[in-house]
Amino acid sequence: MKPADSNRPVKDGADAVLSVAGLGVGYFPEKGRRLEVVGGVDLDLRAGRTVALVGESGCGKSITAAALGGLLPPGMVRDRGEIRWRVGGDCSPGRGLAYVFQDPGECLDPVFTIGSQIREALPRAERRGAGKRLDRLLRTVGFEDPERVLASYPHQLSGGMQQRAMLAMALAGRPRVLVADEPTTALDVTVQAKILRLLAELQQLEHLAVLLITHNLAVVAEIADEVLVMYAGRIVEAGPVHILGNPRHPYVNGLLKALPQLGTGPARLEGIAGTVPPLGRRPPGCRFHPRCPLAQPVCREREPPLNGPGDGHRAACWVREAEGPT
Amino acid sequence: MNAPLLMVENLRVTYPAGRRHVTAVRGATFTIERGRCLGVAGESGSGKSSLARGLLGLETHVAGRVVFDGQEVLKLDRAGRLRFRRRAQMVFQDPLGSLNPRMKTGAALAEVLRVHGLVATRAETERQVARWLETVGLDGAYANRFPHELSGGQRQRVNLARALCVGAEFLVADEPVSALDVSVQAQVLNLLKSLQETRGITWMLIGHDLAVMRHMADEVMVMKDGAILEQGPAADVLARPAHPYARELLAAVPDVGRALARRRPGATVSD
Repeated sequence: MKPADSNRPVKDGADAVLSVAGLGVGYFPEKGRRLEVVGGVDLDLRAGRTVALVGESGCGKSITAAALGGLLPPGMVRDRGEIRWRVGGDCSPGRGLAYVFQDPGECLDPVFTIGSQIREALPRAERRGAGKRLDRLLRTVGFEDPERVLASYPHQLSGGMQQRAMLAMALAGRPRVLVADEPTTALDVTVQAKILRLLAELQQLEHLAVLLITHNLAVVAEIADEVLVMYAGRIVEAGPVHILGNPRHPYVNGLLKALPQLGTGPARLEGIAGTVPPLGRRPPGCRFHPRCPLAQPVCREREPPLNGPGDGHRAACWVREAEGPT
Repeated sequence: MNAPLLMVENLRVTYPAGRRHVTAVRGATFTIERGRCLGVAGESGSGKSSLARGLLGLETHVAGRVVFDGQEVLKLDRAGRLRFRRRAQMVFQDPLGSLNPRMKTGAALAEVLRVHGLVATRAETERQVARWLETVGLDGAYANRFPHELSGGQRQRVNLARALCVGAEFLVADEPVSALDVSVQAQVLNLLKSLQETRGITWMLIGHDLAVMRHMADEVMVMKDGAILEQGPAADVLARPAHPYARELLAAVPDVGRALARRRPGATVSD
């Protein structure tokens, strides 16, 4: 962690590449009925920094990521808040914003070579005679034999190599923002470690703003600068990554206690009672209150705002807020 | 100390590939004591699942010896194999893929009980189904649910109930929690552990998550390319691995505590 982090105002989006304010996505199962998939998401992505959006399945993290590039699945609409680019130039998806997804094998077309697929991702004007650029792109993502890889078909590459190729493709359009949605979840741990290291290198080298979507708190702790924890469509805790050592929200606290860690040994884990409420059955007030060990009457009635003592660490919890800063 | 429940000697598992054979497990030797949990750690292609299938007699091209409670597993006749299958069961990673989507939970359990001739009447079946659901922490009402009506954790509980209800003493769990969310994973891991403690179940836990291993296993083996590179007490292997690959694997595991300590302001940066 760089020392400058602690004084950096998190709310102020002045130096952000991309700012998201009050983002909400609705799902319309039938006419006139709106179910909120995610709501009230504020997000600032800065060049050279990694923000992690972490949560369990169904919390809305991938939907938030998809909303940034207009990639929402049918039936879902981004109908709240705004997404603002703070830089000039072409910021459309594939140019300003690039994605890497969980399963590289499914993103690559099996009947075309890696070379032809990356070439296709280049801006049109650069495609002719792009040999040098392709070569450089592949070296950037860690290939030592670009020619062989460019001529390969996806099935000839391992999962880790496929993900490197996807990264090369994402970088082809010189994006400002890279959204990586579970980029290492399908990979083996040693390969995961390499891809995470590569992501961190690329972020510095290309001055990328990275939004990392993951369910894995340990991956967040390894490479993120900032972390946002989502639960049932809301951000419940946010701040510099070291807040994971001292979480304020009972949900985040519970998640960390439920996580087997190398250092804790065979101690009994504390699971979180109950399950994540499905869309459409999310409770009023604080969405975590039915599972929360600290729940008070107010938690059932009013939704807590995402607040903090001003050091960038914010949590949406009535009980913690009443306790004051820890 | 009585004899180990499972003794595996020089087990080899191969798969025919054209005229040649691909060797998935090259000579595994180990034992598991009664009521203990052996963790088998390795990455994809390391042979850990082939090892499990091989010792359960689920593979055809197997050489070596597997002795389960004094019996040679690989030489059992049909009746003996059926008895062995009752005592040694397997639980898989994908809890939905392991359940018939058109069969209610109760019917799935009842079928297994009937096949193994463990129940005679309908009333007895219902009683047994309710009892096993309760054992894995599910209310009896879940017998009337279809798999798609259950959460991932609940489905894995049903799979466990199905494995246990035939009287299994030895369970091989292949990545039993890697498809589950953290909060649910903890609940299932706690269940596995309490089954070990209260019912004396002997486990072989296969996985890639070394933190889960550290939490569950008494002994650990590290596999790569079909060979066992290191084996020993979990506290040793996962804290001070001797083999270079085991060290690499351990260093590659993302870990919240370790990462935050490394990245603390003022901490020396080492990679």
